Amino acid sequence: MKVEATEVEGRKVYSVRAFNQGIAGYIEKLPTVWVEGEVTELRRQDRWASVFLTLKDPEDGACLAVQMPRGQFDGLRLELQNGERVHVYGRPEVYAQRGDFHLRALTIERYGLGAHLAALERLKQKLAAEGLFAAARKRALPRIPALIGLVTGNDAAAKRDVLSAITTRFPPAHVLVAETYVQGPRAAPAIATAIADLCARGVDVLILARGGGSFEDLLPFSDERVVRAVAECPVPVVSAVGHEQDTPLCDLAADVRASTPSVAGRLVVPDLAELRAWLDRAHAGLGRGARRIVERHGERLATAHDRLRRAPLLALERRRARLDTTRGRLLALSPRATLERGYAIVRSGDALVREPPAPGTPLAVEVAGGPFGARSE
Amino acid sequence: MTEQTFEQAQVELEQIVERLERGDVGLEELTKLWERGEELYRRCAEQLAGAQGTIEELARRLDAQQT
Repeated sequence: MKVEATEVEGRKVYSVRAFNQGIAGYIEKLPTVWVEGEVTELRRQDRWASVFLTLKDPEDGACLAVQMPRGQFDGLRLELQNGERVHVYGRPEVYAQRGDFHLRALTIERYGLGAHLAALERLKQKLAAEGLFAAARKRALPRIPALIGLVTGNDAAAKRDVLSAITTRFPPAHVLVAETYVQGPRAAPAIATAIADLCARGVDVLILARGGGSFEDLLPFSDERVVRAVAECPVPVVSAVGHEQDTPLCDLAADVRASTPSVAGRLVVPDLAELRAWLDRAHAGLGRGARRIVERHGERLATAHDRLRRAPLLALERRRARLDTTRGRLLALSPRATLERGYAIVRSGDALVREPPAPGTPLAVEVAGGPFGARSE
Repeated sequence: MTEQTFEQAQVELEQIVERLERGDVGLEELTKLWERGEELYRRCAEQLAGAQGTIEELARRLDAQQT
């Protein structure tokens, strides 16, 4: 903007407005820089368009006013508190109307291990209280995934490790890779977006992989946005971030934690050779089972047939045996057996003689040997 | 049925083999089970043999992150 001065009695004179605009225009040409300081006088209200804070130099107390659009500030989810050490990335700006000077922040990052750890611990407690890390939430991985999602940086190692572990163990695997930022201020929203994108493409398991890095490098994986994206992911998530000793919060929210990207790769797919062996066993079992059942039915049929064939003979024999028994019982009851023992049956006419008959009565006598006539005396 | 995953086929095949090994199956049902088992086996084997894996890159959405 061109700043016009007026000539007054030989002087070049600027209006306040023109002067401020001139300064503003000049200052706006300054580069964007990082400024380190301590957060004081943090002011944020829902109805304000901007968030205000004062950055204080811890050495000598020098102050710098900082403004940031509230949406952007909220988007960072820093939950910043007064007294925390931060790095503010921004450019100087003049509010021409008032002649005020401030730093317009583009992003703010927490700085210093202590502050980070404290913030991390606060977030961890908060998310744990919501139950995001609960064991009951953990889901089992699919035995054979149809489509594997991989969120990783473009750093070759982690991605290559995961992919080679998967394709070595299970060559028919289908993998959809989402490369994204894995460190720096853009990483957290980018990772969350990548997770959502992969889920939208229908993956049925998801790997979050990143190689080792410094504490700060791994911070995006403890970012609330990433942790929530992992916890809310509709399919199981395997987290393989950093080294064994690092425990970013996304590891706690994931369904399975893998110590390295290779382990993550091996976890999500079955071993093809084992699977083939299983299939062969199942096939053999199918044939064997079917054969055994057919044999068993055959045996049962043969037995039934055999019994059928023998049945008439058996029935005949059984009847004959019964006849013999009956005959035996009949014989036992017949008077003949008594006659054999020396008794005699005496009849007079048709009647059996039980009382001594009148002398001269003709009698028929039967003994074991046969009948003969007699006369009583 | 056509959209059965390998995993579902695997589970069903295992169940059929188990039933056949237990043996309490009538001949008519045996035929059905055995045919179904063979079909599942064929399908699983095809999936293991035929399918060539793929690795696809999702397009990066840099624009979405630049605000």
